[in-house]
Amino acid sequence: MSESGYVGAIASIGVEDVQALYEGAKFYSPAVGDAGRASLTSWLAGLLERNGPVPLRRVEAMDPDTPCVSVCVIGSGSALADLPPVGDEFESAIRQIERLSGVRFGAVYPLAAATVSALVPVVAASQLGVPLLDADGMGRTYALIHHTAMDLAGVPVTPLVAQGPTGESVLIEVLAAPRADRLLRANVDTLGGWAALAAYPTTAGVLRRAALPGTVSRIVNVGRLLLERMDPDLLITRLGAITGCSRVGRGRIVELEHLSRPSDVTIPAHPSSLVVDETGGLGRQLRIELRSEIVAVFADGALVAAAPDLLCLLDVSRGELATLDSLEPGALVDVLVTPADAVWYSPEGTRMVGLGSHGIPLDHPRRR
Amino acid sequence: MKQRPSTFPITLGELARIQPLASAAGVHVADPSRPVEQVVLAETFERLRRATPHSLVVLHREAATGGWSLATALHLAWERNLPAVVAPAGASPASAALAQRLKMSLLLIDADPVDVALRLAGQVEVPAAARALRQALFAERLADQTGIRGILGVLNSELETVPVALLVGDAVVAGRTAAVHEGPGVTRVEVEVQGPGRRPWARLVAAVPANGAGAGEQVESLLWLARPSLQAAWAHTRLDSSTHAAHEQAAFGLLRRLAVERSDAGPVDPAEVDTPSWSSELGWQVDAANRAVWLAPLHASGAPSEERTHLIRAAWQRSHATWPLIAEADGWISWHSSTDPDDVAPLRQAIAGFRDSAAAHGLVIGIGRAHQGVPGLMRSLAEARLAAHVAREGGPASVQWFDQVGAPAALAWLPIAEIAQVADLCLADLMGARDRDALVHTVLAVLDCGGSLSQASQRLGVHRNTVLARLARARQLGLTYDDPGQRLALHVLCYALATLWDASQSPMP
Repeated sequence: MSESGYVGAIASIGVEDVQALYEGAKFYSPAVGDAGRASLTSWLAGLLERNGPVPLRRVEAMDPDTPCVSVCVIGSGSALADLPPVGDEFESAIRQIERLSGVRFGAVYPLAAATVSALVPVVAASQLGVPLLDADGMGRTYALIHHTAMDLAGVPVTPLVAQGPTGESVLIEVLAAPRADRLLRANVDTLGGWAALAAYPTTAGVLRRAALPGTVSRIVNVGRLLLERMDPDLLITRLGAITGCSRVGRGRIVELEHLSRPSDVTIPAHPSSLVVDETGGLGRQLRIELRSEIVAVFADGALVAAAPDLLCLLDVSRGELATLDSLEPGALVDVLVTPADAVWYSPEGTRMVGLGSHGIPLDHPRRR
Repeated sequence: MKQRPSTFPITLGELARIQPLASAAGVHVADPSRPVEQVVLAETFERLRRATPHSLVVLHREAATGGWSLATALHLAWERNLPAVVAPAGASPASAALAQRLKMSLLLIDADPVDVALRLAGQVEVPAAARALRQALFAERLADQTGIRGILGVLNSELETVPVALLVGDAVVAGRTAAVHEGPGVTRVEVEVQGPGRRPWARLVAAVPANGAGAGEQVESLLWLARPSLQAAWAHTRLDSSTHAAHEQAAFGLLRRLAVERSDAGPVDPAEVDTPSWSSELGWQVDAANRAVWLAPLHASGAPSEERTHLIRAAWQRSHATWPLIAEADGWISWHSSTDPDDVAPLRQAIAGFRDSAAAHGLVIGIGRAHQGVPGLMRSLAEARLAAHVAREGGPASVQWFDQVGAPAALAWLPIAEIAQVADLCLADLMGARDRDALVHTVLAVLDCGGSLSQASQRLGVHRNTVLARLARARQLGLTYDDPGQRLALHVLCYALATLWDASQSPMP
């Protein structure tokens, strides 16, 4: 079931899948560091050992009337490492929505199957004793909680509950989805810097058209590949088979530019621009624009890949993904581009998470 | 200066010469000869995408936020075939590297992009006004220069891709030799520079690449601008004639040493002795076939005085201002260099013009044969000197070409006056005789004719018996010409006396 090299949908997530889940989740959000890795993975592994593997179900396999809820972590990753979860945050957040709506959720699904938010739905499902849906709302991570396929499909984000590690919680109900994120952000600091979020309560029938299918098993498969530590060229070929990713170019980092353009407050303190001199091929100059993630790659000034594409760097010498805070001049990297789920290339999706939302007023290379 | 307002579009290089772009930092300037037909103030990339080729783009606001936006602007400019991108200061080294890679000119400005774009638009709209401004600035820079090399330096830095050289004859005196090389797609622009008396002195030559439409016209007007400065600089060097003379003398000394050193090392191939660059700085030409001229005083009187040298120089250089004149121990040296060794017309002309002065100063002129290069010049010089000695026989202003001298030149070296003094002592009887002149000439004629009385009488135009009578009388007075032991000595003596007396009879200046 968890054999190495297995590609395809999987039926459950057990202890042995935890590391792969974590690695795969990292691939889909390369900006995040490894600060809370050990505590989270051992917590999840312990739960799975105690409660047994969590069944992973395709949305179509569920009764359409099954009430479902999504969970994720909001706030800062370093706060999560500083103030680790007590353990009941996710369960408690879900129970509050159940009490409010008078339903009993029959399944949990990830709001975004990436970063630690890919692990916590497994935690919640294990604690609640319900199956986990093999689907999510983003297929990677985006900055705001209404940047989801559910929102695009008209599923309301609220009622939502944010439960902090200190036992306090916030319940939010809004009329317009973008307001939810603003209200939530105002409270996250007070809740402890991070919070467990339960949102988008709906049914499996709605999720059949509103969620992105197969994303959880995909990250497990990606994670298995990444754990194998193979030659970068082979790795990219194999990753391509699962994720459709391809290499933009391989080159050496020659320059890190800070704040190449006026920033707004939501941009974290990452270097905002990275220049890579292509070592093979045409010897192009690759300019990589960073926000909280890689949002665009320019080759000799021409835009070749951009959000909502998932862009990441593979450290060639180590054969592993390079996180954005580990970059330094001289490193040899492969620039990988992975297409996002199709919904993000629709006009609505592009408006929501495209380059324009990062302050780069250029058309996506696929649209030109 | 010519005033011909040009309607050709202004080039990037021209714009970069004047404000506001003159103060811009040129991160990378790919091709200054690119025409600029329009200025686009690009606030968005959409605007940049609509820019027509040959538009200079000034980035502003959204398009000028640096980092990726500059990279994108450079790429779009490359796609649209724009001559340059003007951006606010603060570009990273990576942007410079990209500009270089795309061969796209990138200029960085501190001023407000809107102001800059407006001023540029004005300049592009009326290229003549911008050019006039550039010429005014250029004239200011020229005014700072007093030397010929400095002026050529300013010209070359102003014209950048167009090499300029100053030519005297065919020799490059200053500037870049590339200006002389003919090549495909290169137009040659020439402006004549006149010396004193409106005589042609030199030419300014520029090689204009053909791709710059209208560039030739602009280059020509700049060359015209440089002309008065060049004339002034040239006059300046000539004004200080004693320095110039010393300079020439020293340079010639070096040149001579160069030739000698080379010949010490073995047989000299003229092509092997490189012409030193400082010789062309003086306007000298020594590369081609050189024909030397030796101006010598009729009576050797030691080293010529500075004042005399000055007068001779003025007279000699009246017709050929660039020909050198170097004072030597017993005369003055000059030479004419030409690619055609048989080309003597300029020299004949010069000597014809100098004749009156030569007569006035009591000079004779010797001319050597044409020989190649520096060693050739030295050889020609020795020939000219010999010819000058021979010329002394002919009196003041006489000209002797070495080609026509041959072995009799040896006689020119005889110290006639000293030998004549010997006669006074050894042949007192003869010297005291009233008919000594006829006696000496008769003996000389007989000796010249190898003892043939009939030939001698024919040459002298007297009867054979007269010759016989004179010979008998001469023998009595000590001219024992038929004594084999004394024949050579007496022959030389007679030659000396005859030459001396002939010379003293000829009118003195």
